[in-house]
Amino acid sequence: MRQRSNVKRAAFSKLAPIIFVGPAILFVVVFLYAPIIFSVALSFSSWNFISPEINFVGFENYRRVFHDPNFQDAAYNTLLYCVVLIPVQIIVPLLLASLILRVKNRNLAGFYKATLFLPTILAYSTAGIAWLWLFDPINGFLNSVLTAFGLPQSRWQTDPNLAIWCVAFVTFWKNFGLNMLLLLAALVSIPKEIHEAAALDNAGPWRRLLTIDLPLISPTFFFVAVTTTINVMDDIVGVIDVLTSGGPYGQSSNILYYMYERGLSFFQFGQASAASVIIIILVLFVTWAQFRMFENRVHYES
Amino acid sequence: MNNSSLSRRGFTQGAAMFGAAAALPVHAFAQEDAVVTISSPWGADRPFQKVVDAYNAKQTGVSVVNRLDGSYEDMATKALASVAAGRPPEIMVTGWKFGYFARRTLAARDFYDIDSTKADAIMGNFKPSMKPLVTIDGALIGLPWSLSTPVTWINMDLWREAGLDDNIPLDISHEWLVAQAAKLDKALGNKKHPTYRSAIDLSNNEWTSQAYIQNAGGFILDGTNLTCDSAEAIAGITAFAEPAKMGLWTNMDYRAQAKAQYAGNIAIVTTSSSRAGPLSALDTEFKDVMFPSMDGKRNMNSGGNFLSIYTQNDELAKASMDFLAFCATQEAQAIWSEMGYANVSKFDLGVKPLQTAAVAQLDAGLTAETIWPGERGLEGQSVWRQWVARITEGVVTPEEGLARAKRELAPLVSA
Repeated sequence: MRQRSNVKRAAFSKLAPIIFVGPAILFVVVFLYAPIIFSVALSFSSWNFISPEINFVGFENYRRVFHDPNFQDAAYNTLLYCVVLIPVQIIVPLLLASLILRVKNRNLAGFYKATLFLPTILAYSTAGIAWLWLFDPINGFLNSVLTAFGLPQSRWQTDPNLAIWCVAFVTFWKNFGLNMLLLLAALVSIPKEIHEAAALDNAGPWRRLLTIDLPLISPTFFFVAVTTTINVMDDIVGVIDVLTSGGPYGQSSNILYYMYERGLSFFQFGQASAASVIIIILVLFVTWAQFRMFENRVHYES
Repeated sequence: MNNSSLSRRGFTQGAAMFGAAAALPVHAFAQEDAVVTISSPWGADRPFQKVVDAYNAKQTGVSVVNRLDGSYEDMATKALASVAAGRPPEIMVTGWKFGYFARRTLAARDFYDIDSTKADAIMGNFKPSMKPLVTIDGALIGLPWSLSTPVTWINMDLWREAGLDDNIPLDISHEWLVAQAAKLDKALGNKKHPTYRSAIDLSNNEWTSQAYIQNAGGFILDGTNLTCDSAEAIAGITAFAEPAKMGLWTNMDYRAQAKAQYAGNIAIVTTSSSRAGPLSALDTEFKDVMFPSMDGKRNMNSGGNFLSIYTQNDELAKASMDFLAFCATQEAQAIWSEMGYANVSKFDLGVKPLQTAAVAQLDAGLTAETIWPGERGLEGQSVWRQWVARITEGVVTPEEGLARAKRELAPLVSA
C-alpha cells in the first residue's frame, strides 16, 4: 500500500513541473514563438492567406522593403524617435522624481505623482483623440492660445515639418509618468543613512544624484531604459495611427506603422512579415546591446 | 414522505427544463430563416439600417443583419480573415477602389452565376452607365449602391459677408473659383473673424486631384498605362496646387477639413457630393455647384461603393440576391436617398437638397475612380496620394512630383 503511494508521489513529482509550467509554455509557444516562426516563413513567400498557392520568393520581399522609399522614411523616423524620445523619457522622469522626493508636504507630493501619472493610464487611442482636438489646425486649443498671444497659427500634426514632433510629444506625455513612478520608487528605497553620510561629506545635490542615487537605482534605471526603448520602437504606433496615420506623406511613420500598412491596408503579407522580421531583429539587437553595454554597471546588491 | 414535497431530483429536473427553455432562442421552435450578414461601414443610426429593417419587416424567410465593420480597409481586412477561415460575410459594402481586390482576391461572386434572371432584374432598375462600373474582369460583382462625385460646396454666409455676388453659376471654372477665393480672403482674411479661417480647400487626396487631371484632359491611368506625367496631367495638378501656393488653402487632413467645414471655417470646399446629407442639416447655408472645369472642359470621376456577395454557399448566395433585389426597388432606393448619395436608379426620386451639382455631373457622365490594377494595386493609391500631398505642399514641382510618382507607381501597377 505504502509502496503504491510512493510510486504515485514519485510520478506526481515528475509531472508537477510540466503541469504547473505547461500552460504558460503552451501560451508562449502558441502566441509568441509560433507567430514568429510563421512570420519568418511568410517573409520568404508570396501568399495572401486565401490562395492555395504559396510561392517561395526568397529574399524578394526584403529587397522590395529595403528599396521602398516609404520604408526608408519610416526607418529614418524610427531612428529619430529613438534618439529623441529614449533620453527624454528617462531623464525628464528622473528629474521629476528627484524633485517630487524633495517635496515635504505629503499631500502635495501625492498630488504631483497622481497628476503626472494620469496620462499613463489613458489608452493610446483616447490620448490620440484628445490631442487631435488640441492640435486641430483650425479651431484647436493650442492655436487659440497662439492667437491670444498674437502669434501665427500652426497646422501642427498636418504640417509635414511638425507632424513627427507632435507624435513624439504625445508619446512622451503618455509615457513619462510610468518611468517617473518607477524611478521615484527606486529613489525612495535608498537608505537615508547614505544620504546623511554624503551630506556630512559636503556632497551637493548633483553629486549625490550622480554618485549615490544613480548607482543605487541602476537596476530600475536599466529596466526603464530597456522598456522605454521597446516602447519607443513599438508602442508609439498607437499615437501615429490616431494622430497622423503616418502622414503627411509618411513624415511621421515608423517601421511598425509601415508594417501595419503593408499588412492590413495593402494586404502585402510577405512584405509586412519581412518588415516584422526586421523589427524583431532590430529590437533584439538594441536590447542585446543595452545589456552588453550597461548590465555590468548595474548594482543589484543594495 | 409527503407526496406534495419537492424532491431534490424533481427540483433539479424542473430547474433544468426551465433553464433550457430560457436559453433556447425563440426561433429554435420556429422554422429557421436564412441569415445574411452584411459587413458595412454604417451603424444602426444610418439610413442603411432602415433599408435592412424594411426588408426584414417583409419576412421573406431571409433575415438580414447589418454589421458595422469600420472603414473600407477595416472591412476588407475582416473579410480577408473571414474568407481564410471559410466564413466570408454573405454581403460586403465594397469600395469602388477595391474592385480588383474584391474579385481577384476575395472572390466576389458574379451575380449571373448565382441567379441570372435576378441579376438582369436588379441591373434593369439602374442607369445603364452603372453596369460597367460594377463589372470587373467581365463579371457583374456589385449592385451600384453609393455613388458620389466631387462637387464644390460654398458657405453662403461667408460668401455674402465678403460681399460676393449671390448669383453663383452652377457650372464654374477653376479660374473663376480661385478669383472668388482671393476676393473672399481679401475681404475676410485681414480682420479677426470669429469663424473664417481659410478661403478654399480642394481636398488633399487622390480623388479630387484625379478630377483636376481629368478635367485638364489627362488621366492618371489610361487602362493599365501610367499617364500621370503627361502635359495635361501636369497642367491639372499645377492648377490643383495653385490655391495652396497663393496662401488661400490651409492644407489639412480629411478629418480636420470636415470639422472645419461644418464649423463654418472654410468658405469653399471641393469634396464628395455625399456631404449633402450632413451639410443640409447644419444651420449654415451651403450651396453646391459643379466641380471646377479646366478650359471649359470637365471629365469627372465617381466614387463610393457597391454591394457584393462573397458567400460560396449557394443557398445563402440566393438569399443575398433576394435582399439585393429589394435594394434595387423604388422603396429601398427612396429610403437610401436620405443618405445624400446621387440617385443612380431609374426611379424618379426627385432631387434632394444640395444635390443639383451631383445630378448635373452624373447626367454628363462619370468615369470610375482610379482602381489600381496589379497584385500591389492597393499600394498605388497611397503612393499617388503621397505625391499629390508633396506637390500641394510645394516640396516638389508638379513636373518632378508626377515623374517621380510614375517611377514609384510603375512596379506596383505591373506586379
